[in-house]
Amino acid sequence: MNDRTENLLLALPGILLLGLAFFLPIAQMLLLSISGPDGPTLSHFVRFLSDPYYLNILWRTVRLSLLITLICALIGFPLAYIMTKVGPKLRLWLVVMVILPLMTSVVVRTFGWMVLLSRSGLIPEMLRDMGLVGRTFALMQTETAIVIGMVQVLLPFMALSILGVLTRIDGRLEEAARTMGCSFLATIRTVVLPLALPGIVAGSLLCFTLSASSFVTPNLLGGTRIQVLAASIYKSVTATPDWPFAAAQAVILFAGILLVLAPYIKLTGTKHG
Amino acid sequence: MVKAVPSWLRLASVVFVALTALILLAPLIVVVGVSVSESQFIAFPPNGLSLRWYQQVLSSNAYLGAAWISIQIAVMVTVLATVIGGAAAIAIHRRQLPFSDLLATVFLSPLVLPTIIYAIGMLMFWSAAFGPVSPITLALSHTVIALPYVVRTTLAVLAESNPYLEEAARTMGANRMQRLWFVVVPQCIPGLAAGAFFAFNISFDEAVLSLFLRGPTLTTLPVQIYGQLEFSPDPSVAAVSTIMIALTIVLIFVIDRMLGLTKFASA
Repeated sequence: MNDRTENLLLALPGILLLGLAFFLPIAQMLLLSISGPDGPTLSHFVRFLSDPYYLNILWRTVRLSLLITLICALIGFPLAYIMTKVGPKLRLWLVVMVILPLMTSVVVRTFGWMVLLSRSGLIPEMLRDMGLVGRTFALMQTETAIVIGMVQVLLPFMALSILGVLTRIDGRLEEAARTMGCSFLATIRTVVLPLALPGIVAGSLLCFTLSASSFVTPNLLGGTRIQVLAASIYKSVTATPDWPFAAAQAVILFAGILLVLAPYIKLTGTKHG
Repeated sequence: MVKAVPSWLRLASVVFVALTALILLAPLIVVVGVSVSESQFIAFPPNGLSLRWYQQVLSSNAYLGAAWISIQIAVMVTVLATVIGGAAAIAIHRRQLPFSDLLATVFLSPLVLPTIIYAIGMLMFWSAAFGPVSPITLALSHTVIALPYVVRTTLAVLAESNPYLEEAARTMGANRMQRLWFVVVPQCIPGLAAGAFFAFNISFDEAVLSLFLRGPTLTTLPVQIYGQLEFSPDPSVAAVSTIMIALTIVLIFVIDRMLGLTKFASA
């Protein structure tokens, strides 16, 4: 046995698993999305792209995902920055604060929001008591509820992505900027932010992808009336069931995500090559 | 340098962190609160204090059955993902195979693909090739999405390992198996352990694959909770959820003790 055989044997179980239980299923899905009763067809795609109902779902998915990503970035960057500046003990607590929700099941977290946002829940009640909203005000089954729930679900991904980059920035760069007369905010703007950009971009791509493809939280907080693309896919698989149409919707989701990821992949590709 | 931060900004950051903590932890606190409520209905802040919902969960066949299935699958996934992912990471790290870079990309690719897309692919493929889904289907699919985590944590540990140890063992006459088992694997252990904990956590909490690949007798705990939430949630859902949160806290504590959480979070 030589080195190459040994390494091949080590990697083989993984290659087999991914080949049979990952790449083959995806191929099967791609195939099914163009399969009709009489040979290959694009009718499932045409059906989706020519129906205002589905186009509306697509647009809502994109709109909400962008908004959720933006909010996550706006909260995630300062949070990650503060995490790099505090002492080790406090930092550990902040890391726990970020990781505990991350590692808790999405179903459980969404349940918490269902309680908080329901008609008699704490948040609408408080808003009503403060006189900010009318008596009929409701949060459940609105897009706002989806955004609130999803931001909580995805913020940890954003914060950790940015934290990973921020911890590698040389602290002396900031000190240099300060000594040269930069104010604190100017230092953030001209030194920290540009250096943290790769983390912000990576975190945003991750948030957008996860947000566009999630259906547990949108389904439970938005109800059946406010559907997003992933919820529509789930419905086509379980309720209708129309598998080729579900596959076509999944391909559309995948294509949309690749479209967003492509410029970034190309960018990092040229950097390494 | 810290002194030079304007004081209004320091105050603002304290308020900001407190608010963020509230957003991140509120749903968890609420779930724990509801679970100890005495009332028939879901209410927060809780009315009264009682453990009756925990009692109800522990005598509910639906929850116990789902929990048992979840545990079995999570254990299978942990073993499979750690062994397969660890071996693959060692092979990738050595960079002796052609297409080593491609191999690394392939092993990390389940991270990039949204789970819902993989889930319907797996459902369609399995139904076409083998018929109805089984616990094996679910365990294999969870292993696929847990694999990248094991590969990554193991690669991270190997990157800091000493490459000359293996060579030293070779000069001293250790054969291939001995070098692998007594030199390389022990160096991987922190990474393997972290990966194993993540694999267990991912499988135990995963809802998307479990929803698509469920069957009449194949309902995991998150799927059971999801079903309750869609129809008639009562505080017993909160009790189950609280148990799951407690388990997560234990896992985080163990990972921190074994490997250091801070180091891990910024990796």
